[in-house]
Amino acid sequence: MRGKNNRKSVSYAKWGYIFIIPFFVVYAIFTLYPQILTFYNSFFENYREGLTQIGPNFVGFDNYIKLFTTSTDGMIDIVKYFSNTMIMWIIGALPQFAIALLLALIFTSTRLKLKGQGFAKTVIYMPNLIMASAFSMLFFSLFSTVGPINQILLANGILDKAVDFIAFKVPARLLVALMNFLMWFGNTTIVLMAGIMGIDESLFESARIDGASSGHVFKDITLPLLRPILVYAAITSLIGGLQMFDVPQVLSKGIGMPNRTTFTVVMLLNNYLSGSKNYGMAGAVSVILFIITGILSIIVFKVLQKKED
Amino acid sequence: MKKFLTALLAILMVCTLAACGSKDTADTGTTDETPKEGTVFNIYAWNEEFKGFFEKYYLGTVPYLDTDGDGTLDAYYEEAPGKHWVDEGVEFKWTIVPSDNSQYQEALDAALLNQENAATDDKVDLFLAEADYILKYTDSAVTQDVKALGVTDFSNTYSYTVEAASDASGTVKGVSFQCCPSALIYRRSIAKEVLGTDEPAEVQELLNSWEKFDAVAADAAAKGYLMTPSYAETYRVFSNNVSSPWVDADKNMHFDEKITTWMDQAEKYVANGYTLTEGIWDAGKNAEMGKDGRALCFFGPAWYFNFCMGPAHEEAMGDWAIVEGPAAHFWGGTWLLAPTGSDNPTIAAEIMNTFINNEDVCSKLISQESQFTNNQAVNNKFASDPEYGSEFLGGQNDVAVFAELAKNIKFQNITLYDQYMNEGLQTYFVEYLKGTVSREDALNNYFKYINEKFPAINTETAK
Repeated sequence: MRGKNNRKSVSYAKWGYIFIIPFFVVYAIFTLYPQILTFYNSFFENYREGLTQIGPNFVGFDNYIKLFTTSTDGMIDIVKYFSNTMIMWIIGALPQFAIALLLALIFTSTRLKLKGQGFAKTVIYMPNLIMASAFSMLFFSLFSTVGPINQILLANGILDKAVDFIAFKVPARLLVALMNFLMWFGNTTIVLMAGIMGIDESLFESARIDGASSGHVFKDITLPLLRPILVYAAITSLIGGLQMFDVPQVLSKGIGMPNRTTFTVVMLLNNYLSGSKNYGMAGAVSVILFIITGILSIIVFKVLQKKED
Repeated sequence: MKKFLTALLAILMVCTLAACGSKDTADTGTTDETPKEGTVFNIYAWNEEFKGFFEKYYLGTVPYLDTDGDGTLDAYYEEAPGKHWVDEGVEFKWTIVPSDNSQYQEALDAALLNQENAATDDKVDLFLAEADYILKYTDSAVTQDVKALGVTDFSNTYSYTVEAASDASGTVKGVSFQCCPSALIYRRSIAKEVLGTDEPAEVQELLNSWEKFDAVAADAAAKGYLMTPSYAETYRVFSNNVSSPWVDADKNMHFDEKITTWMDQAEKYVANGYTLTEGIWDAGKNAEMGKDGRALCFFGPAWYFNFCMGPAHEEAMGDWAIVEGPAAHFWGGTWLLAPTGSDNPTIAAEIMNTFINNEDVCSKLISQESQFTNNQAVNNKFASDPEYGSEFLGGQNDVAVFAELAKNIKFQNITLYDQYMNEGLQTYFVEYLKGTVSREDALNNYFKYINEKFPAINTETAK
């Protein structure tokens, strides 16, 4: 009897491994292998000029050196593009998390018991379903010199001449952040709601019986127990933010106007790849992005996780 | 569910095997002794324009090709047996990729570079290219001599269209089915107020040099009008007449005098309120075509005023006329190029001949499609026809103007970088014109962009 049982458990384990094989195969082919190839490519001069293929010639770290060389205006371009990306992400992510947390608390509150929640949740999630480039095109038209925003401001006498909003640094960056905020706060709300609903209801009840205020409950029960989900949401948002591309690309006609202040790291990557197929430089940019993403994710993870210990 | 999945997998497996099988038979088919041409004719294009003309006028006009009118070729060359012929008819397969963000060229490049290894049914047999990047293809082994294929009569085409389709040694690699001389398109009602006349001959007299153009711009501004609706409106008038290429043989980049003149003009016109900081395709420029439009001059060829000036057609029909303006130039145009390794060279040559030498087809392109064709005899016939006139231009005979203009166009000092050079300069320089970025920064960003696209170009020489 005992022997039979043993055999059974061994065969179950085997099936477990077999069932997870597809994931590892797909991961290896579509993620791991391209990643290794990207590292490999970044050490080569490899691009196309017209129809003529140049390389691949091994150049060591030349591509990286080129990326970190100061340009004529005294700046290291990739550092500038990285800080553009981070600034636009932070401007969008701070209100995104604040509002998402607030909404998640309201929707999950057993005391409020809001009606029409399904409708509200659908509406806040809606912008996420629109393609980012279409959303960006919409804003481009809204804020263009002949767009409705200018027309309204002109008609009400607030402006006496049409303003090209996107030609200025602050409005251009704010618009990018606003779009990212609008597209993602619904998603974050849903994630945080799931986190809050996962917390044992009896904790809230006992706190209320003990006479804890809403603020106390939030600070001492909800927030600490929500931390793992918050870490997850923050890291995915950070990774998404670092890879920001379609919104600024469409809004700034691909040039990151004004003066490349809305130009992101992935837009640089796109410039290297489209047309000239510069796998060497694009590979180097990807590797740098990969390293930065890794470091920042670890920092976010450590900072948010620490308090729990 | 399990059964369904098993069945699905089985079907997928069979399909994969079947796909391999059919490829094999196609490969052996080519080694047949009789000189047969392929059964699939692949055409690459970036929009539907030429496809429309092709289906209306090529398939329709050459009667023995499509006998039952189903869009496939039947009994090709049955009138001339023994030459090249296929038994079952040829299918025309279009691959249309939009040109935004260089998608078209990427798809085309991939196909052309893989031409040798592609299955016969997948080989590119004809592709379309624009003037801005045509050199990339003509100056390469991916295209072939069309004279060898049977396109030999260029007596009626405009010389610049042949120069554009030729490589450095003069081998012709394709033909253009349209000719795109660009004219100065002015608004009659505004011309009357600013110039006191809307008669083309008198207007041309007042605008035939840049000095006169500048003087009129000042007048127009004083009367509350714009000379042009976009800072880049006059760009091609300058860039088509440069005396040196963007990049020399040592890959050093230079600004030609004509380009710097344009930059100065754009700067001055924006500063004085003669023009707007709107790009060629921006909504803000298009708004100037409508009933409240303030702009006197637009620049563009037949395709531009017929198909890209929507608001003008809707709200200011007939309020326009065209003249040569300060200098002859062209804009755009679509060339048909013959790729090396095509398995249907005869049909490719047939199509090219039809669109440059078939007078019936060319006449229809003018009368029904508002094109200016690449056949001088047909164009001249319309030019001297007193009955012919464009409704949009208030009855003016546009073909007559273009026929004169087309003779003076030059296609020279072209490089394979031109598309990025021209478009890049316009998009980056306007940042300076808008006043939010210094001139130095705007140009530096432009140079960075050029080096991101072409690492080998030395941009220092242009600074």
